[in-house]
Amino acid sequence: MFGDVRLSRVPAKFSGTRAELFWRLVGGYLLMVPTLGLYRFWVTTMKRQFYWHHTSIDGDALEYTGTPVQLLIGFLIALAVFLPLYIAFFYLSTQVGTVVVVGYGVVAALFWFLFGYASYRGRDFRLSRTLWRGIRFDQKGNAWAYATRQFLWSLLVVVTAGLAYPFMSADLWRYRYTNTWYGDRQFSFTGSWRTIAGPFYRAYATVAILVGAALGVGFLTEGRALALVPLLAIILGFGGFFYYRAREASRMFSEVRLGTAGLRVEIKARALAIQFAAYSGMLLVGFIIVGLVGFLVSLVVQGQFDFSSLAGIARAGWIGVALALGGYLVSLATLGLMAEVYLDCGYWMLVARGATITGIESLTSVRAGEEDKALAGEGLADALNVGSF
Amino acid sequence: MEPVGRYYDGVVAARRFVTFALTRDATPAELVIADRDTREEIDRWPVDTLFEVTGLGDELRLGAADRPYGARLRVPAGEWSVALRDALPGLGRRSQLQRGQQRRILGGAVAALASVIAAYVFGVPLLADGVTRLVPPAWETRLGDGARLQIEGMLSNGLGFRSCQDQFAAGNIAIERFAADVMAETGSPFAPRVMVVRSPLTNAFALPGGQVYYFSGLLERTETADEFAGVLAHELGHVVHRHGMEMLIESSATGLLVGFVLGDMTNLSVAAAAGATLIDSRFSRDAEREADEFAAAAGNRLGFSPLALADLLERVAADDTMTRTLALLNTHPLTDERRAALEAVEVAPATMRPAFSAAEWQAIKSMC
Repeated sequence: MFGDVRLSRVPAKFSGTRAELFWRLVGGYLLMVPTLGLYRFWVTTMKRQFYWHHTSIDGDALEYTGTPVQLLIGFLIALAVFLPLYIAFFYLSTQVGTVVVVGYGVVAALFWFLFGYASYRGRDFRLSRTLWRGIRFDQKGNAWAYATRQFLWSLLVVVTAGLAYPFMSADLWRYRYTNTWYGDRQFSFTGSWRTIAGPFYRAYATVAILVGAALGVGFLTEGRALALVPLLAIILGFGGFFYYRAREASRMFSEVRLGTAGLRVEIKARALAIQFAAYSGMLLVGFIIVGLVGFLVSLVVQGQFDFSSLAGIARAGWIGVALALGGYLVSLATLGLMAEVYLDCGYWMLVARGATITGIESLTSVRAGEEDKALAGEGLADALNVGSF
Repeated sequence: MEPVGRYYDGVVAARRFVTFALTRDATPAELVIADRDTREEIDRWPVDTLFEVTGLGDELRLGAADRPYGARLRVPAGEWSVALRDALPGLGRRSQLQRGQQRRILGGAVAALASVIAAYVFGVPLLADGVTRLVPPAWETRLGDGARLQIEGMLSNGLGFRSCQDQFAAGNIAIERFAADVMAETGSPFAPRVMVVRSPLTNAFALPGGQVYYFSGLLERTETADEFAGVLAHELGHVVHRHGMEMLIESSATGLLVGFVLGDMTNLSVAAAAGATLIDSRFSRDAEREADEFAAAAGNRLGFSPLALADLLERVAADDTMTRTLALLNTHPLTDERRAALEAVEVAPATMRPAFSAAEWQAIKSMC
């Protein structure tokens, strides 16, 4: 009997394709123009439906039950928080001297604090609107407590030059997961700082040695070999980053438990690096296309104006503003599209396809939890632009 | 082939493969759900309580209003999902209604946002004007000092501006006299401080609190005393109308609005800043018009020709594009409309006299 539980390993599946997401997003972005950007709440909802509904565990797909209107309302509520902050910013921008430095410092700290709050509330919103086998997930705990925790930890990380990071990461993961529920069953997190200490301190030491070596070489050769150092630093820096990110995600996710069921995630650093390369390449291709189209348009437009008269220059100026605005929006959309299709979707694919669940049979006894209706939208998470699914 | 779907009761996290059928025994009709293998009946959902939730492609996902929140029947895309949809016309109507409602909310929100933008575009100059009146002049002067440090650092690579001559030189005394004449009777709380600085840029600008800069690059291109007087009066017009302060208030409001549209209230992204700059340029035109009117009125009062201002702008405009991008024209776009407005100000020929005496103008012209 004991062996059976160990043997049952169910892989998660993801059936979505980048092309499908790409065309859905293009449609959504186009509708954002006539709706003055408000359609973004519909785009977000559509995006989540794409991710959730294509992800299945043991044959049963996730369901996202949130609506765009909930997001819209949450955003409006968050506006109320932002107006005073915005006025504070305005006041500071008119000041001179130390008050500016202190003021900006305080506002920045406040933003960082709110960022923690917002990301927790955003997670709560998404989890409480996620169904699997007809049962909802939920995030309990206190978002203010989480924000305080994150804030204090990050101070410590800054003071210790980053060395305290694994402790912070483990503590925050634990807080998030021990307060996550599937129906009436509570998640747990079995990891500790040791879970990621190896990869983290290895990456940290590599960077430290690298910087030290660069300084040493620069000093010994009186700066002649410095041209090679940035190149080396970039290669090793990126390598270290992908290695660490893949290890952290794999190890931390693999410490998540739901009763006797467990999650296991395996992400390869190579896959992350390939994804980033694909993103960079496609971004380049995207901007070359945008640039070529822009160039052709400007050629056509330029031919129609007479730059020798003042009226001509003025008229060309207006067309120029319109073209600049259009070009600006198209560039923004290209950036967003590529990041979404190659980085975000790619990451989701890696996690979903690299995930297996052990002991899934134990979940059949989970019952629906209490209703959690306190959340109206993601509010701050949306206003603060907390990047997440 | 019988219809098969996945069923979740919303109470326990279990999946059951079920078969289903519509029965018209009851009123309203019911969707009977039974276990696929044991044939045991699980539940009956009255069709008027059914609603569709978004599924994957043509897959049909049903919920029932009076059942637990997560109760679902999922019918994979295929003949049965099509057949069931056809058999439940109320379903289509309900989701259509829902879509209509969503569209109305979106439409309402867009209309509201559009009216906010319209109110903003027409109302913010008034608002900024009103708010500016409330700002104490001392505050604005301090703001101007801060802005000066920033702009100086930006335009002179952190070296600071170098004034062409000290304040007791003949040229500066003449400028001071002229500035005082222009500002007299305006009731402005600011004391004008004009400085001619060494810089290749063909530009002149005013800062909040009464500071005005005239670059030597522009002075070289200035041919007559009236042109110089016109530009100076125009910049002093910005000071009197407190355009710097208004602009700050306007651009903050614009940032807020652009942040709202783009969804990034922190406004930290370059994107939002770039968007805001594009909108701001609209307001600067109004400010230019007001400053022109001020210069024209000053010309009328003191007897110099305000049209000279347009002559100078036109001369700078004729330069090649490279210099233009950094020049006067960029911050003071010249339009036919502007020139016409300046031409409309009549100066009685009898009172016409140069803004500076020949000796004064000579002193100014040779300052740098």
